[in-house]
Amino acid sequence: MPRINLLKKIVFVALAIIAVRLFFIQIIEHDMWVAKANDQHTLVETITPKRGEIYMMDHNEPVAVVLNQTVYSVIIDPAVTEKDKIKAALETHAKNYITADLDEVYNIEGLRYYIVAKNVPYTNAVEIAEEGISSVWLKEGNARVYPEGEMASGTLGFVNADGLGQYGVEGSLNKLLTGKEGTLKTIADVNKVALSIGKDNVKIPAEDGKDVVLSIDRNFEKGIEEWGMNAINGTQADHAAILVMNPNNGEVVAMATLPNYNPANYGLVKDASAYINQTTEVPYEPASICKTFTYSAAINEGKMTPDTTYNNKHYEIVDGWKIWNAETRSKLYGTISMRDALYWSLNTGSIHALKLLGDNSESITQAGREKLYDYYHNKFRLGQATGIELIEAEGYIEDPNEGWGRDSTYANMTFGQNLGITMIQTATAFSAVVNGGYWRTPSVVKGTLENGNIKPLDNEKVTEQILSAETSAIMRDLLINNRSWKVNNGTDRPGYAIGGKTGTAQVIVDGSYDSEMNNLVGSYMGFVGTAGELPQYVVMVKMWGEGKAIGSGDAMNLFDNLSHYIIDYFKIKPKA
Amino acid sequence: MNRKHKSDLGILFATLGLMILGLIVIYAIGPMRANVLNSTYGTNYGANDFFFGQLRSVALSLAAFFLAFKVIPYDLVKKCAKPAIIIALFLSVLLWILAQSGSSLAKCELGECRWYNLGPVSFQPAEFLKLAMAIYLADFLDRKKEEGSIGKFKEFWVPLIIVCGLALGLVVVAQGDLGTGVALMAIILGALLVSGVPAHQYLIMLAIIIVVAVGAVATSSHRMQRINAWIDTISGAEVSDSTYHIENAMLAIGTGGFFGVGIGNSVQATGYLPESINDSVFAIMGETFGFVGLFVIIAVFGAILIRMLKVAEHTPGRNERYYIVAVFAWTLAQVAVNIMAMTGLVPVTGITLPLLSYGGTSMIFISFAIGLVLQLSCYTSREVIKNEDISSRRGVGRTHYSSRRRRS
Repeated sequence: MPRINLLKKIVFVALAIIAVRLFFIQIIEHDMWVAKANDQHTLVETITPKRGEIYMMDHNEPVAVVLNQTVYSVIIDPAVTEKDKIKAALETHAKNYITADLDEVYNIEGLRYYIVAKNVPYTNAVEIAEEGISSVWLKEGNARVYPEGEMASGTLGFVNADGLGQYGVEGSLNKLLTGKEGTLKTIADVNKVALSIGKDNVKIPAEDGKDVVLSIDRNFEKGIEEWGMNAINGTQADHAAILVMNPNNGEVVAMATLPNYNPANYGLVKDASAYINQTTEVPYEPASICKTFTYSAAINEGKMTPDTTYNNKHYEIVDGWKIWNAETRSKLYGTISMRDALYWSLNTGSIHALKLLGDNSESITQAGREKLYDYYHNKFRLGQATGIELIEAEGYIEDPNEGWGRDSTYANMTFGQNLGITMIQTATAFSAVVNGGYWRTPSVVKGTLENGNIKPLDNEKVTEQILSAETSAIMRDLLINNRSWKVNNGTDRPGYAIGGKTGTAQVIVDGSYDSEMNNLVGSYMGFVGTAGELPQYVVMVKMWGEGKAIGSGDAMNLFDNLSHYIIDYFKIKPKA
Repeated sequence: MNRKHKSDLGILFATLGLMILGLIVIYAIGPMRANVLNSTYGTNYGANDFFFGQLRSVALSLAAFFLAFKVIPYDLVKKCAKPAIIIALFLSVLLWILAQSGSSLAKCELGECRWYNLGPVSFQPAEFLKLAMAIYLADFLDRKKEEGSIGKFKEFWVPLIIVCGLALGLVVVAQGDLGTGVALMAIILGALLVSGVPAHQYLIMLAIIIVVAVGAVATSSHRMQRINAWIDTISGAEVSDSTYHIENAMLAIGTGGFFGVGIGNSVQATGYLPESINDSVFAIMGETFGFVGLFVIIAVFGAILIRMLKVAEHTPGRNERYYIVAVFAWTLAQVAVNIMAMTGLVPVTGITLPLLSYGGTSMIFISFAIGLVLQLSCYTSREVIKNEDISSRRGVGRTHYSSRRRRS
């Protein structure tokens, strides 16, 4: 029958077309479809490691000051049109954590995955989950908790919404604290549930971040900050930065940039400069504090003793510039010892030390400049990062030979101007002056906490004797002598060795020093210890305010208070 | 009628083999299907619910198959032709009325009401309509042949168009079931082709059907969407919601490669491919068994189809012959349209793959239909029926056929 034969032909043709088509799809296009399938089926998930926590010391025991809390990110599949439901759920349960504009997200074509809320606490996340919206899922993550509130915020820093450490220890040790992300690569079903099908499933577990122990003493820090805030409230100053460290091992025991901000709510800070750690990230001119370094250099080189005298005219003309002393009372005019010049903080005194460094008591020489540069830059390591485990600014020390007006520049440098150095550089150099002559890399991190033991970090630490023990002893005497009137008026307790040096810096306004003295930064650098022994602590205080003339007197008063606090807190015994 | 002899073993074993294969595949992917439905829609399917569902369908289908094959004589069936089509049409009309009145007896999915809801089971009257149509057309065409009125307008075309138009209208329009409509159309076209309708009339009819079909597609945004999706897919456009189904069917087939990923390793069945256990089961088989497996499956279907035509060629009774060709066309349409949709050759119409897809009613009725063909295969003549009126000269060619075989 021809018509049945026609049907047979139709069968053959239809099946042949199908077979050819299958051959095309399954054999020729096979690789393309496999690639597409991998795209569609493979679920790559990063396993977030647990961020390390941050500890401070409570005398000899580590105590946590930055902890983790489990929080959730809310992720949606915008291809599923449940916008109104999701919007309502977010508004009701996680209003403060929304990170995306839903209207915009739903307008992006082809989007299957978007994070719409971050850092949602557990209870809120549970409420969202209970709404049972199919295109919403939750991803676990960490958020920081600060049991000490704002304390030491400038040193600790914060963790941003992306889980990245910013500023402070969180920023500088971010890698160590973060740990290593793990990966889960697996074939998943349409609801993104991993399947056991497939040979290429990969699971690399996450490596949790390390717990970091700071050398800062928690309760001590709290007290230091209280004193600092009192000083701000009791003076014209708006800001204060305080650094307390052990000069014999370089460990920082208190580090404050005041006022603090709240790291748990870092977003509320309006001026990002509030995040900056003033002790390490801001080079400035500590002014007369640097006379300590100039004197140390000249004494260590054997060019002078405290009893060396010179002729004080209240000013000095260098490179055509007339440099004045701040203190011009008539009884100081004429021949004066270097000891008294330091006591009265005479600029002509430190300029004379520079002259002596160049073996010429009449004028500044190239040899003198080079010697001072060698001490400032190479020995005291000013204008260089110290290597502390924090974000640091380098600052600068002018070259002794390059450029115009080297003599006046170096004359200014002897009393701490025309340079840029940080508080940590200054305090570390000062430690070397008073600790017997050893420059030691400062440190704010004791190590990582592993099974209850503190394991030191493997960062490079330098110890280098840059001054003789004799020079250091002479300098201690000079610095104690600076405070002889404090001993006499009963401020400094008997049996203790307390020394220090003031520094009042003019602020550069529009490229030159503000001669009206309307903008002053007051600093004080000192040490505290048992009389006749090496100092136990060095303390640096800096106070300032926008458009405010903060003299070193305010800073010195704060130092005075802190010296008592230190003796009491650490129970430093007086000399028997 | 010829003396009874052995049935066509090819059709028998191919049918049983496909049923078993379908069962195995559903056993492998049923748990995935249950898991996807449970996690997406919060249903509570057990891991093996779909397997047991298919097992029940296969059991009922086997019962229907052997009932038609061994128990119910075709002569009895053909006497029921008119009541069958009337009942089938009535059931579809009743379903439509129930659906319109919002009765819970009408089961609707995605806005299309195609099922009777009978407690634990559901019943799709369109499947019965296909069987009834095959039986009715065989009877109708046989009678018209006897009367000599084939091709006459009033006696032949008018009643034919009324019955077929009503059936197609109920299925395609009232139930929105284009897939069953295509199968029904194939049954009609197949039966008519071998009934001796003059060629020019047949071609005119084909032309009219094509025009109506194109018109129906062009005036329905829903159907146009499917056409556009199909064009988008074969032209490699970006995946969108409408191209998703075909794209993922081809992805399943394509990843199968030469030998397939093996039973239980289908990823597409874990929710990526819609309708993975029913309309798209061929694609899952492509992923699981690869080109080799699909080639075998196609060959088995091909064998069934060719054997059916062979049986038809050797069946002396007109009615019986028309019926076999109708069932052949029904099977061919479902196999070809389903597979071609899965491979992007034609737009998706929503049609099951006979004997393999999950689903009760469709498997039971096509099993019954094939069972009847198998029964008829027991009564074939040795000779190819050459003349349309061969029944009046029954047995004449027998020796001729035999002698030719002997010589070879």
